[in-house]
Amino acid sequence: MDTLEFTIASLKLMLPAIVLIVGGCLLLCSGLIMKSGDQHRVHDNRNALGALSMLFIALAGFAMSFREIPADLGSGLFRLDESAIASERLALIGGAILVLISWSTAPKRFLAEYYGCLVIMLGGIPLVGAANDLVSLFLGLELVSIPTYILLGIVKRDNLGMEAAIKYFLMSAFSAAFFMLGLSYLFGTSGSTNLQVIYQTLGSETASKLTIVALLFVLCGLAFRITAVPFHFYAPDVFEGTSLSMASAMAYLPKVAGFVALIRLLGTQLGPDVMSAVVPILLACSALTMIIGNFMAAAQANLRRLLAYSSVAHSGYLLLALAALVRNNAEPVVLYSYLAAYAAMTLGFFACLAEIESAGGKTIMIADLSGMFYRRPAASIGMAICLLSMIGLPLTAGFWAKFLVFMSTTAAGMEDPISLGMGILMAVNAVIAAAYYWRVMSKLFESSDAYVPLRVFRPSLFLAYTICVVLTLVWFFVPYAM
Amino acid sequence: MSYLIPLTILLPLVAGLTIFVVGLKGKLMAQLGVLAAFASFLLSAVIVYEAFGKAETNDGSVATVVPAIEYAPSWLKFNLPVALAGKQIKWQLSLGVDGIGSLMVLLTGIVGLAVSVFSLRQIVNRSHHYVGLLLITQSMLFGVFMSMDLVSFYLFFEAVLIPLILLITGWGHSKEASAASKKFLLFTLAGSIPMVVGLIGLALQSSAVNMESTVELQKLSAVAFQQQMHAIAGGTESIAAYTSSHQWIVWVLLLGFGIKMAILPLHSWLPTTYAVAHPNTTALIASVVAKLGVFGIIRIVIPLTPLALAQEAQILFAALGAIAIVYGAMVALAQSDLRRVLAYSSISHMGFVTVGLMTLNTDGMSGAAIQMFNHGIITCAMFLILSLLEERKVNLSFKMEDLGMASLYPRIAVLLVFFTLAGAGLPGLNGFVGELLAMVGMIRVSGIITAITVLGTVLGAWYGLKIVQRVLFGSDGNHDTHHQQHEVRTDCNATEWATLGLLAFVCLYIGVRPSGPMAVIKNDIERLVTVTQPVSKAVHTDIDTVAQNNN
Repeated sequence: MDTLEFTIASLKLMLPAIVLIVGGCLLLCSGLIMKSGDQHRVHDNRNALGALSMLFIALAGFAMSFREIPADLGSGLFRLDESAIASERLALIGGAILVLISWSTAPKRFLAEYYGCLVIMLGGIPLVGAANDLVSLFLGLELVSIPTYILLGIVKRDNLGMEAAIKYFLMSAFSAAFFMLGLSYLFGTSGSTNLQVIYQTLGSETASKLTIVALLFVLCGLAFRITAVPFHFYAPDVFEGTSLSMASAMAYLPKVAGFVALIRLLGTQLGPDVMSAVVPILLACSALTMIIGNFMAAAQANLRRLLAYSSVAHSGYLLLALAALVRNNAEPVVLYSYLAAYAAMTLGFFACLAEIESAGGKTIMIADLSGMFYRRPAASIGMAICLLSMIGLPLTAGFWAKFLVFMSTTAAGMEDPISLGMGILMAVNAVIAAAYYWRVMSKLFESSDAYVPLRVFRPSLFLAYTICVVLTLVWFFVPYAM
Repeated sequence: MSYLIPLTILLPLVAGLTIFVVGLKGKLMAQLGVLAAFASFLLSAVIVYEAFGKAETNDGSVATVVPAIEYAPSWLKFNLPVALAGKQIKWQLSLGVDGIGSLMVLLTGIVGLAVSVFSLRQIVNRSHHYVGLLLITQSMLFGVFMSMDLVSFYLFFEAVLIPLILLITGWGHSKEASAASKKFLLFTLAGSIPMVVGLIGLALQSSAVNMESTVELQKLSAVAFQQQMHAIAGGTESIAAYTSSHQWIVWVLLLGFGIKMAILPLHSWLPTTYAVAHPNTTALIASVVAKLGVFGIIRIVIPLTPLALAQEAQILFAALGAIAIVYGAMVALAQSDLRRVLAYSSISHMGFVTVGLMTLNTDGMSGAAIQMFNHGIITCAMFLILSLLEERKVNLSFKMEDLGMASLYPRIAVLLVFFTLAGAGLPGLNGFVGELLAMVGMIRVSGIITAITVLGTVLGAWYGLKIVQRVLFGSDGNHDTHHQQHEVRTDCNATEWATLGLLAFVCLYIGVRPSGPMAVIKNDIERLVTVTQPVSKAVHTDIDTVAQNNN
């Protein structure tokens, strides 16, 4: 096979990511030729750009299904293994829902920029998932985070929005620096930026202190993306300060990118030294994240902050699964299926909120939702199902997600006090979480005497949460499809 | 492979979902729901018949849980993405019924039918939604009683919560319903989510003996049987070793099941929920849902880790059960609101089930299994009568005056007296059978606990007669000068009379011929005793266990 053929074959394999990134760039450019003007024109633009973004996502989906994965994956910059494919799927599903949520809520002055950045972010996730090199890993992560700065800056132009944007930018830059420092040490100890070489270093019987320090830095950098405690402080402010559609993207995309990167780095047979250093850090981080996330969420009266802390708590459960993965008790599928369930329930909840908001209702405080069932029944039922899934009750995808994390955490055997303790801790946290989710849910169905029905109908938002709710319910019966 | 089982679960589920979603405001939908409830009642009766017909006698296998009819297709086989000591976990889920399960399935069928018939007239608002949710709950309950593995058991056990909470919130007292259902939800979840860890611990037992990991109760119980025997054969030290590694499993499971069955310190969700939910909902909760905890102990704790249970919790739980009998009865005596009297009497009656179960011998456990069924029928009838009475008099408090309702509503009065007597354990009615057996079983374990239990029966008769006296008799019934607009002034109608009559017939039948239901559960209890008897002999050497094997 000559070089040209080889290059084309490789490009074919990475086609979904390429389509998304090129598509995002084209969308950005379309801002230059797009005419702005009266209200009518804005409406057309919305539809055009939304449809265009959907088209790119659909093209990426096609590219994903029409390719043949070779048996030998090689060891170049990218490696298209199961993790990569799973992350592509997560990006496409989440992306389609996010575009639907944004359809009628994207900021009208920056439509092209908004969709361009969003689609580029989506393209970054498959890159992280396929990365087989520290350079490409970092590149993918930055492709997710740099558009986020722009998006946070343009979606809401008030003080809270500015605060959110600046806060996120500074913290993110800081964490990226940590991450880079860790990567440079990893390069230093292993002598290569290739992950296959680094895996050998991590898997060796004895590991130098520097390797562990390097991993610590890397974990710090990624903990920011997944809003793990103690790097979670920006989350509530950012969720509160930005628009609903952006908050839903923030709740999902960085988290997926961060966890995929963690799986990429740690999803190998670790040596005993590294294992004994990394596992306690992961478990402690997970315990803190669950406890602080849930307790802070239980104390909130502001719905956005509650959702931010709830997403922090979900990171805690995911970290628990990651720790099980590191201990060889779970497969990456546990994390991917949790993330898929998380996508359906969280994005669905946000879509319902966005629909209520776009119909003229208020969704800032929990109390604003009082009696919403009688004002907006469909969205309320959607929210209720998403909340049930977040609690982790059966008949929803959230059940299997939590159950698999439980299983993988405790699979090390009950004689092991750590796995038993973490299992019980997670159970206690799930009950605390049930309390505040129930608080939101009971508000929805609270009967109130005076209410104004909300009559504005947004097909895109309706479609968004319908898809989420259907996925939540269907994935319970076909957990394999998650 | 019997398709009867998935059919019984799916029929009410599909019917319920259809009615809930399609319902609109058609009155006909609720009637359709009653029809579906009747069909599932028939199916549950067929299941009892089939299970009884195919019940095998002890065939030499050591499994202590053996389904009479089973449904375990290959599509219920799961490969979990979780590895255990390097091996991938493969789980076969299976549904099936044995005698005890089939009895509970029948109870669910009868109660579901009775409650949905009553809700036709009782539930004024959104009656099709109510019936739809009722059918969904019923389907989940069928699922619990027919699951033959840990995963589907837990799944259905949790899933019961969702429709039930909607039933409590949607049709209860508007102000307190939300708080009460939150309490119910949190209490139940606080028990059942830690329970997962315990269930996983039980599932891991099999891998300890180098078997492929499984969740099927039949296989697990066989493994557990050998483990118990092995521990007993090793003497005191190996028993202690086994117990110390399993005690937390027992405690976590008992916490979850104890909350569901409202054992004494964990009972505080029960009176609030019963007092706030609609009486029809309460009838379902009190008669079937409250049995889930006991059923869990019979199905999971006793067969899978009897040694740890006997060592750790047997006497304690028996004592708690006896205290619950007396405490519930005394609090019921002090109440002046009929709802609360019934709620506390339910705590008291469930105490008999606990006591019977914790004897771990043939008499006691048969008593508990029978009493589960009997108490379900009686409580269901009592709460349905309560809903009839509440329609006729909004405030059923007899603190200030006797209500004197017998002269106005003679049919209801007759039924109330009948079911009160059944509840109080009158010989010839069904309450007597279970309570007597539970006490007979207990007397071999602990005399003191039996003495307390007997005290409870006296108190039970006392508050029962007090209800009859204060609600039915006393004044001439003409005191209500300010009667409400929506009050019903007539006696119960023919449908209600017939429904309650059916329940009364079941009470009478079991009362005079207890050998019928006893024959259904006989094989299962015998299987359980093969493991519990040596276990309790080994653990409680000071207790006279000679007379236990009297079958």
